[in-house]
Amino acid sequence: MLKILRAFAWLRWRMLLNSLEKAGGRDTLERFSLAIEKIGPIMAAVLMVPSGLMLAAGGAASGYALARGDQQPLLFEAARYLLFAVPIFGIVGPLFMPAADRTNPVRLLLLPIPRSTLYVAQTSAAFGDLWVLVMLPFVLFVPIGLIAGGAFAAAVVALIASVLLVVVVIGISSIATSLLHLAVRDRRRGELLALLFIVIIPAASMLPGLLHGSRQRARIEGRAEAREPVHIPSWVATTGDWAIAAYPTELYVASTRAAARLDVPAAGARLAALAATGLCLHAFGMFVFARVLASPGSTGARRAVPMRAAWGRTVPGLSPGASAVALAQIRLALRTPRGRAILLSPVMMIGVFAVVMRRQIGGMDFGPLALNSGVSLAAFGSFVSLLSILPIAMNQFAVDKAGLTLALLSPLTDGEYLAGKAVGNGLIAAVPALLCVLVSFVLSPGGSPALWGAIPLALLATYFLVAPAAAVFSALFPRVVDLNSIGRGSNAHGLAGLLGLIAFVASAAPSVLIMLVVSKWLGRPSLLPVLLVVWCAIAYTIGRILFHPARKIFARRRENLAMIR
Amino acid sequence: MHADLAVQTTGLTRDFGSFRAVDGIDLIVPAGSLYGFLGPNGAGKSTTIKCLTGLIRPTAGSIAILGTDPLIDPVSVKRRIGVVPEDLALFERLTAQETLSFVAQVHGIDAATARHRSADLLDVMELKAAGTTLVTDFSHGMRKKLSLAAALLPAPKLLFLDEPFEGIDAVASRQIKDLLLSFVARGGTIFLTSHILEIVERLSTHIGVIANGKMVAQGRIEELRAGGGGGKSLEELFIGLVGGDAKSYAGLDWI
Repeated sequence: MLKILRAFAWLRWRMLLNSLEKAGGRDTLERFSLAIEKIGPIMAAVLMVPSGLMLAAGGAASGYALARGDQQPLLFEAARYLLFAVPIFGIVGPLFMPAADRTNPVRLLLLPIPRSTLYVAQTSAAFGDLWVLVMLPFVLFVPIGLIAGGAFAAAVVALIASVLLVVVVIGISSIATSLLHLAVRDRRRGELLALLFIVIIPAASMLPGLLHGSRQRARIEGRAEAREPVHIPSWVATTGDWAIAAYPTELYVASTRAAARLDVPAAGARLAALAATGLCLHAFGMFVFARVLASPGSTGARRAVPMRAAWGRTVPGLSPGASAVALAQIRLALRTPRGRAILLSPVMMIGVFAVVMRRQIGGMDFGPLALNSGVSLAAFGSFVSLLSILPIAMNQFAVDKAGLTLALLSPLTDGEYLAGKAVGNGLIAAVPALLCVLVSFVLSPGGSPALWGAIPLALLATYFLVAPAAAVFSALFPRVVDLNSIGRGSNAHGLAGLLGLIAFVASAAPSVLIMLVVSKWLGRPSLLPVLLVVWCAIAYTIGRILFHPARKIFARRRENLAMIR
Repeated sequence: MHADLAVQTTGLTRDFGSFRAVDGIDLIVPAGSLYGFLGPNGAGKSTTIKCLTGLIRPTAGSIAILGTDPLIDPVSVKRRIGVVPEDLALFERLTAQETLSFVAQVHGIDAATARHRSADLLDVMELKAAGTTLVTDFSHGMRKKLSLAAALLPAPKLLFLDEPFEGIDAVASRQIKDLLLSFVARGGTIFLTSHILEIVERLSTHIGVIANGKMVAQGRIEELRAGGGGGKSLEELFIGLVGGDAKSYAGLDWI
């Protein structure tokens, strides 16, 4: 078994090194692009060393303080809260990593390895998870601090508690990974899950914060609407306390503390609870893992799409070829979790704000930004809609994967192709943006009509300027992505994303400035539509001019794009 | 440039850094022929196809596709060719019908003609029932057939097919062979690569053999056979040309 585990450790180490070493760039720019992508993990690895040393020192200091009779040393208390997050990361972490990041265990079934060994090998992969790497130096150095302080028996208990905590955390990660594997086996279920994690949970998680912020603001302003604090029933509080006490990291903290004050029964009970938790988790983990191994590679019915739209549908104003490219881009967005998230996120966000606005007169605070009218809500939502297309717009060619080859083999001019992509991306952003404006108008229709009319014009002007920049960054820094994945796996290249964000801010700035100067400072909102129409025309002209170098850059990068895999 | 040549290259060369993938090859593909382009793995076949179809630029040499230089007028060339590339070139999130609609639109084919041709092609490829299914749910064989349908839809004069029979079942393979032969019989030209020498032998009128990026033989299949001593199968001829002599396996007794 040890030989097999060693082989697995070597395999993961080699895969890590190979991913860092083999740049494979075909020219300087592509090598630079690939190197930039690797800077993040390398920086994280470099930063892990001092962080690990600091955490180890913190652990030792905490252990020493505990041994010297301080039951609540500051460092240990701080670490307690950080440790609290570790099991949560163990659950959420695997969801945000592309499924392929962890070796698919089914293919390993061909090897002559017992399933239990395979489970141990797969579970051991969790030792490489960031949250485990952060936790390890702290919990392993607490016993050393206890020894230094002369509490040898407590050190032994703390060491056992540390090991059990690690066992529990990797058990949680293992279950989460196996469940994720099972979920994504059915592609449709996997896509639903991805959508849930990209859109619904983040939006829902904003609600309590927003409600709390609004209530607090109302309380500060002494408004009558400020509500009394909610009284939690005693049984809920008791259950909550019990659940927290049984939480793995709390069991670890409690057992270490009890051991330091030589309370053997309390320490023993906590250790036993931790051991039982670990045992249950790994028993369940083995069960789920067995289900993963026993299930087929992928399941799920084939998806049929209604055929009414395929023939003869074109985007007005575009050549048939450019129109086909635009429609393919829209369909890509409509049929991938990441694309649907782009369409749904702003609408969900506006929905959350709508709930808050209905509960709260006078709007909401987001730090420096205050949303206190339908117009400002519409402006905010529609600009977020435009911003949310960055992951696709800043990687607009590579997102097509093999479809890009089909496009490059087609009798399309570069101009037609770029125009199709620009219009497609624009339409993807336009749908949620218009929905945001509509929802905001229905919720809070007040304000100058000129201000309402100014929002689409400002958006249009911004997009005219962003579109050529998006084409350039997509051509320079393409990244192979999986728009079905939840986390980094579906993002544009880091540099393209950053430059795209800067381009977006720079492109939006003139429109925002015009809106602020005319409506706030000059107090003449009626002038806004006229001025923004003029600015739109200027932005369109600038955009058209910028598309010339964009076309040249695309033509130069065609070959690299054709070969990106 | 010869008028009755579908493909002609002179000194076609392609480097990837210090590695020369294609080394000065002179291709001569007569119009109306079915040209089998053979070579061992890594010989440069796919790179050559990529150069010919305009996906990558050659480092040196000239190309004429149907009398036109694809580097000078790529759109005109692409209007007259169909390609089934190595990666099959399909949008994962389009259905089979949408894929064909895309191809029809970029070729400027009107909706009625596109609908008619698509129905015919999906029928021939036995993909009719999967017309509204997303490509991402297709098997490899289905993808290959759809890619071929997409290449045929604009009624090209010249087809480039990179391993068209790989991963295809026997029935579909037979249908595709018949389809390709009828395409050639109607005056079309096919440039195909395949590792299945029996199929190439049965279909091709001409073959070219490439090894280590260099052209080692080219011509009518009978002429090459005659030149190699006569009576040889294509496999024997091929192995003789690319230098894959039988190896001694004495050291592998443990297998």
